[in-house]
Amino acid sequence: MNTQDRNGYMLLYRSSEWYKTLSQEELQKLINQNKAWFERLTAQGKAKPGRALERTGVTVSGKNGRFVMDGPFAESKEAIGGYLILDVETIEEAIAIAQSSPGLAYGGSIEVRPMAEECPLDIRSRELAREEQLVNV
Amino acid sequence: MNTQNQNGYMLLFRGNDWTKRLSPEEKQKVTDQWMAWFRRLTDQGKAIAGNPLEPEGKIVSGKNRVVSDGPFAESKEAIGGYFLLDVASFDDAVAIARECPGLPYGVQVEVRPVAAECPLASELKTEVQLANA
Repeated sequence: MNTQDRNGYMLLYRSSEWYKTLSQEELQKLINQNKAWFERLTAQGKAKPGRALERTGVTVSGKNGRFVMDGPFAESKEAIGGYLILDVETIEEAIAIAQSSPGLAYGGSIEVRPMAEECPLDIRSRELAREEQLVNV
Repeated sequence: MNTQNQNGYMLLFRGNDWTKRLSPEEKQKVTDQWMAWFRRLTDQGKAIAGNPLEPEGKIVSGKNRVVSDGPFAESKEAIGGYFLLDVASFDDAVAIARECPGLPYGVQVEVRPVAAECPLASELKTEVQLANA
C-alpha cells in the first residue's frame, strides 16, 4: 500500500448506537472532548468538516436498481455513523489521528481509507491495456 | 423515516470486487458512464462532492485502539466511494441511486440522510427533555 497520499484520507466511523447507554454527564463530557479534538485538528489544517449520518436509510441493488431494502439497521456494529476527511500526507498520521478519537474508548471502530485520485476502474483499465500491449509485442 | 431532509443525502457505493469479472471494454464503458453520471449531477447542482476510495486501508478499533488491515479488497460490503447529494427528498436520492451504472454488475448503493448535528448531541437533548418532563 502507498503510505503517501496527496488526496487525503477518509475516516469512516463504524459503530452501533453505543452512546445510548451513556448518562447525561458522560455524554456531555464526550461531546466536549469530541469538539475539542475536532477543533484542534481543524486549527492544524488536518481535518475538513465531516458529517454525521442518520441511522436510517435504504440499500439499492440489482439491475436498474430494482431492489430497495431497508437498512443498515441501527444496531449493526458495521453501520457507518459518519465520516471525516483528513488532509494529512501519510497513512501513519491518519491512523494516529483515528487512534486519538475520543469515542473509541466506548467501542466501535474507525476505518482509515486513502482517497483515490481517480476511479480505480480507470487505473485497472489502463493496466489491462498495458498487459495486452506486452502480450502483442 | 423523514422524507424531507435539508442536510442532504449520502450515497455509499458498496462492493470492491465486481470489476474483476469485467473485460477491459466493459470496464471502460462503466467508468465513462459513471463519470458522465457524476458530471451531470454536479452540473444540475445535485451532487456537491464525491470521491473514490483506494480499495485498501486500516481499521482502528476499541479501547486499546488496535490497528488491523482492512477492509478486504474482495469484500462485497466494502465501501468503494461516495457521493454527497444536495436534494430535498429521500425519494430524489433513491431515484439517483437507482441510476448508478455499477448496479447491473452487483454494486450496492446505500442511501443515508445526513444528520443536522452529531447524534451524541441529539441524544443528549432527548435525555434532557425526558429528565425535564
